[in-house]
Amino acid sequence: MKLAWQNIIHDRSRFSVTVLGVCFAVFLMIFQGSLLAGFLRAASRLIDASDSDIWITARGVQAFEFGTTLESRVREMAAGVPGVVETGRVCMAFAVYRTPNGTQQVVALVGADPNIGSRFPVPNMLESAGETSPDAVLYDVSDRKQMQVSSLPAEVEINRHRASIEREIEGYGAFLGVPFLFTSYRNAAHFMGFRSEDAMYILLRVGNGYPVADVQQNLRQRLPEIDVLTQSEFAHKSRMYWTMKTGAGGAILTAAVLAFLIGLVVVSQTIYANTMENIEEYATLKALGASQTFVARIVLSQALICGVLGSILGLIAAIPSVGYAKSLIPWIYSPWWLPAVMVVPSLVMCALASIASVRSALTVEPGRVFRA
Amino acid sequence: MPDNFLSVEGASVSFGKGDARVRALQNVSLAFERGTLSLVMGPSGSGKTTLLSMLGCLLSPDEGTVFVDGAAVNQLTEPEKTAIRQKKISFVFQAFRLFHSMNALDNVAIGFEIREPGEARRMEMARDLLLQFGLGDKLQQEPKELSPGEKQRVAIARALAGNPPILLADEPTASLDAEAGRNICEILRKQADEHGRTVVVVSHDPRWRKFAHRTVILRDGQVQRMVTKS
Repeated sequence: MKLAWQNIIHDRSRFSVTVLGVCFAVFLMIFQGSLLAGFLRAASRLIDASDSDIWITARGVQAFEFGTTLESRVREMAAGVPGVVETGRVCMAFAVYRTPNGTQQVVALVGADPNIGSRFPVPNMLESAGETSPDAVLYDVSDRKQMQVSSLPAEVEINRHRASIEREIEGYGAFLGVPFLFTSYRNAAHFMGFRSEDAMYILLRVGNGYPVADVQQNLRQRLPEIDVLTQSEFAHKSRMYWTMKTGAGGAILTAAVLAFLIGLVVVSQTIYANTMENIEEYATLKALGASQTFVARIVLSQALICGVLGSILGLIAAIPSVGYAKSLIPWIYSPWWLPAVMVVPSLVMCALASIASVRSALTVEPGRVFRA
Repeated sequence: MPDNFLSVEGASVSFGKGDARVRALQNVSLAFERGTLSLVMGPSGSGKTTLLSMLGCLLSPDEGTVFVDGAAVNQLTEPEKTAIRQKKISFVFQAFRLFHSMNALDNVAIGFEIREPGEARRMEMARDLLLQFGLGDKLQQEPKELSPGEKQRVAIARALAGNPPILLADEPTASLDAEAGRNICEILRKQADEHGRTVVVVSHDPRWRKFAHRTVILRDGQVQRMVTKS
């Protein structure tokens, strides 16, 4: 396959354009993939952070951010269903936050009971119980600028109620462009003006020996006017809402597909031009007895060499760029496998890009070698 | 009695259709013996290159039969013809047809890669061939750095990779000066005499006459005359 390598490096400018085209495509695919992965994760992050088996929501709630209040009897009825061993409440509403220096800011206020899961960011969960007061308010470190808090604890106002911000957390930055504030359920209900017995989401833990599906079915029969979803169902629903129904995921995916297509066009153009420039050499190879496989392998190898080199450069460019983007887009997330997986579409892209070139090389008449 | 090692029987080839139809070869029968150098001459358009293409399994006659090593090749599939070229036939071209991005050594090595894909020593064998042709100091030179005579010697070395028994040369000296041309004539004659190859040279170049065992004159697609040296 030395011929494949020699042919592509012989025209360095064309080779560079091809590799840069693949690099650009891979970079964009990884970046867009990280946006999509982060978006999907952020869309269900709070649902995933709970340890509950079942979420009860008002009928038709599409995502965590759009809950509405449930009657207090729902919690009582749910608690009476066989298999339900524990109930908890979560609420979320937009609120007006007034910074210590008087600036106003809209925030998404989340309140939760302490028993819904150790990963859920509430002040009185076990891990941080000793460090913060039960009614403390927490915010994500990525939202520090918007919070305008110079030191902790800080006294602020939420919906004209006094609140104490006591701690920064990580991993729960603004998803809607509005910072999240986390506090106890009781505190949040107070800020939001809820009755303490109301809830927005009721979370249930199912005891050992009770199949979650059976408990869910039982709950649906007893509470037909509301939605009863397993944790994974609600997380999926929330992700689908944010990615599909809002079109945000489609836009991110479209950009990734466009990156793929741009790479495809760049690589196919350059590989095709290279093949046509050397078409007499392919005719010579065939005249000398080279099989179709041998000829196809040379063209395909050229495309794949460009694909591999472009992918390596794309990875080198994308990984630090995604890291830097985290400071601007806190929810962007690149799973460890994403860059590696993105090499596959880039190689597929190069293989597809070489189809026209392979056809040209395979169909060239070897008899043309006699033309001077 | 010809052994059909390399021959054509009653071969006719036409190009084009209707009024534009041209009969390149008409009922040509020729046999080329092992270990001989045959020269095919004739004016332009007499069918020399068409004959060479047929002998090289690159073109099938409309009528008649082409035999290579006893097999009627015009009844074979394209992959089978490719396999015959791979094992038995090689070419030398007027335009050299070297791979422009590769050096002389790699140009010859690719001949081995095609004909003896499993051969691990192909670089050494390619080097040996180039040394035989006095190109030991040109191994790393690209075609653009070689003189026409050197290019043609590299092309012959590539053609001989894998030891094919048939060598077909199309105007191999047309682009060469007198000395380089004579050198190529000697090399190809030696291939017939010392290595038992069947060499067919198509050329306008009269220098070839004294190197050929037999000269075939084509005119208007037919064999006009054959001269065999005693």
